[in-house]
Amino acid sequence: MMNDMRKIDRDTAVSDTKIQARDVQVFYGDAHAIKDVSVDILDKTVTAFIGPSGCGKSTFLRCLNRMNDTIDIARVEGDIQIDGSDIYDPSIDPVQLRAKVGMVFQKPNPFPKSIYDNIAYGPRIHGLARTKAELDEIVERSLRRGAIWDEVKDRLHEPGTGLSGGQQQRLCIARAVATEPEILLMDEPCSALDPIATAQVEDLIDELRRNYSVVIVTHSMQQAARVSQKTAFFHLGNLVEYRETGQIFTNPEDPRTESYITGRIG
Amino acid sequence: MADATAGTDQNPKTGSTADAVRASLARRNRKQRTVQVLGLGAISFAFLMLFILIASLVSSGYHAFTQTHITLEVFIDPEEVPLERLPRGGFDDVLEASLASVLEGVDPNDRATMRALGGLLSNGAQFRLRDRVVESPDLIGQTVTMTVPVSDPYDQLNKGLIDRETPEQHRRLKDFEIGWFDRLNASNAISKPLNTGLISNPDSRFPELAGLKGALIGSFWALFVCFLISFPLGIGAAIYLEEFAPKNKFSDFVEVNINNLAAVPSVVFGLLALAVFIGWFGLPRSAPFVGGMTLALMTMPTIIIATRAALKAVPPSIREAALGVGASKHQVVFGHVLPLAMPGILTGTIIGLAQALGETAPLLLIGMNAFITSAPSGPFDSATALPTQIFIWADSPERGFVSRTSAAILVLLGFLITMNAISIYLRNRFERNW
Repeated sequence: MMNDMRKIDRDTAVSDTKIQARDVQVFYGDAHAIKDVSVDILDKTVTAFIGPSGCGKSTFLRCLNRMNDTIDIARVEGDIQIDGSDIYDPSIDPVQLRAKVGMVFQKPNPFPKSIYDNIAYGPRIHGLARTKAELDEIVERSLRRGAIWDEVKDRLHEPGTGLSGGQQQRLCIARAVATEPEILLMDEPCSALDPIATAQVEDLIDELRRNYSVVIVTHSMQQAARVSQKTAFFHLGNLVEYRETGQIFTNPEDPRTESYITGRIG
Repeated sequence: MADATAGTDQNPKTGSTADAVRASLARRNRKQRTVQVLGLGAISFAFLMLFILIASLVSSGYHAFTQTHITLEVFIDPEEVPLERLPRGGFDDVLEASLASVLEGVDPNDRATMRALGGLLSNGAQFRLRDRVVESPDLIGQTVTMTVPVSDPYDQLNKGLIDRETPEQHRRLKDFEIGWFDRLNASNAISKPLNTGLISNPDSRFPELAGLKGALIGSFWALFVCFLISFPLGIGAAIYLEEFAPKNKFSDFVEVNINNLAAVPSVVFGLLALAVFIGWFGLPRSAPFVGGMTLALMTMPTIIIATRAALKAVPPSIREAALGVGASKHQVVFGHVLPLAMPGILTGTIIGLAQALGETAPLLLIGMNAFITSAPSGPFDSATALPTQIFIWADSPERGFVSRTSAAILVLLGFLITMNAISIYLRNRFERNW
C-alpha cells in the first residue's frame, strides 16, 4: 500500500512556485537556528519537511506565516516571497499574512468554545460573512473540507474541547481552512494522534492538496512518504536536500540524507 | 548477552545497587515520615490557634447577640407630655412613673430614687417613646405597651456578668437596684430577644443601643469605591505589562516596584491618602469614598499580580491557535486570553477586596474612626468601617462594649469567610482543563 502511494501522483504538472525563500537565516538570540535556507515551494503540492529533532524544520515553517514574530529573541534574515511579494516587508501586516497562510499545530488546540464558534471565529474577525446564512455555509463547507462534518453536524454547539484527539485535530484543520487560505502549514499534525486518526488526517491532507499548497513538518518518514510530493531534509539548521519525495527516499544524493532515512542519524 | 551470564554468576554491580538502595530506603522513608509528621503538626497548630481565636470570640461575643428588654405599660400623662409642646415633653418622667407603678414601695416624689429608677432603662427608651407619640399624638392620655432595652448595667446583670457576691461598694448596681430588677424579672417584664440592633442600629455612646449599621454601610461604600478603582486599573496595568509591554530594563523595574508596592505597610498608604487626597485635593475626612481610594492603592498591586499570574497560566497553544487564524494581538488578548484568565482574576480580586475589608490602619489615618451616630447616606458622608468600628469599641470603657467588640469581629470574620468561599467557588466552577 505504502509503496503504491510512493509511485502514484508524483508528477507535479502544475509547478507554479508559491513560496520562494532565499538565504533565510533565523537566530534565537545568539543561536543560529536556520542557515542559508533557499527553497521553492510549489502550489497545489504537499511538501514535507523532515529531519532529526532540533534541525530547524519547525522554525523554518513558522517563518512562513511569521509566527516567529511572537518570540522576542527570534530574528529572521533573508528573503521569503509568497506570490512574488516579500512577507517580511514592513508594509505587510502579519495578520493579513496569516489569513492567507493557515496553520495547524502539533497539539490539537481548539478554542474552548463551541464547534461552530471555533470555525466561525476566523471568518468573523476577517469579516468574510455578511449574514448568518453565509457564516453557516462557511462553517459547513469548512467542516466538510476538514472531513469531520458528518461526525459533528448534530452537535455544532457543543464545546470543541469535548471531541476526541483526532476529531479535534480535524476541527483545527477545518478552522484553518475556514478563512480560505492559499497555503496550509502543518507542524507535526499527527504526533498526538493514534494510527487511525493519523490515517484520517493523512487522507484529508491529500484532499487538501487540490486547493492548497500544503507544507507539513513531520517526524515520521513514512508519513512524509505517504502524503508528500516533495520532501526537504533539514539537518542542523541546513537544508541538505530538497527533491521529489520518491527520489529522496529511494535515491538520496547526500550521504547525510541517506544516513537519516536509513536510521543512522536522528 | 547479559542474560547469558546473569543466570550463572552474580553480577557484583547489580547486587551492590540493590544493597545500596535497601540501606538508603529506611533513611529515605524515615525522612518522608518526618516531613509528614511536621506537616501534620503545623496544620494542627494552625487549627488549634484558629479554634482558640474563634472560641474566645464566641465565648465573649455571644452575649452581644441578645439584648435584655423590658416590657412596660406606659400611661402617657397629658400633664407631663402636653400636645402643644411636642416633640418636647417629659417622656423620661412618664417612663419612670410607669416603672414606679410596677414596683411597689417606690415613692414617686423622691427625686433621687426616681432618677436611679430611670437608670434602669436605656437612654434611648425615652426617644423611642417620643417618636411613637410624635407619630400619633392621639396616644396622649392613653396607656401603651412598650418593649425597650434596659441600660447596660442591668443587661450585664441579666446575662450573669455582674457577680452578686461582690461587696456592694465595688459593684456597679446597688442591692436595691438588683432588688428592683429581680422583682421585674419575677413579674415577667424582662425578656432577652435576639439583638437585631447590633446590625440595624448605628453607633452609640450607650452599648445597649450601639450597632454596626453605620460601619457596614461605610465598609460597603469603601469596598465599592475600592473595587471600581482597583479592578479596571489593576487589570489594565496587568494586561499591558504581561501582553504588550516590551521586555526590557524598564518593564523589569516596573515589575519589581509593583511587587514592592504590594508589600508596603498599609499605614503608609494611609499617610499618603491623608496628605494627598485630604490635604491637596481637599476631599472630606472620614468619608468612605476616600477610604475606598486609599484601599484601592493597596488592592491594586494584589490585583495586578493575580491578573498577571492568571494571564500567564493561559496555555500558549490557545494564543497560537488564535494568531494562526489571523487574529491581531488585541483580538487574541481580549477574545481568548482574558476570558480564560477571568476566574483567576476574579479570585485574586476577591481575595484583595477581603484583605481591604479587614484593613484598619489606613482608615484610622483618614479619620474613619470618628464617633458617628448616624449611618452614611452616600460615599461622601462621614462613616466608620467594620475594622475601625471594632477599634472604637475595643477602646470604649463601657462593659457592654467588650462583648460587642467580639461580636463585631465575628461579623467581620463572617464577611471575610463568605468572600473567600465565593472566590474558591469561582475558581472551582470555572477552572478549565485542557
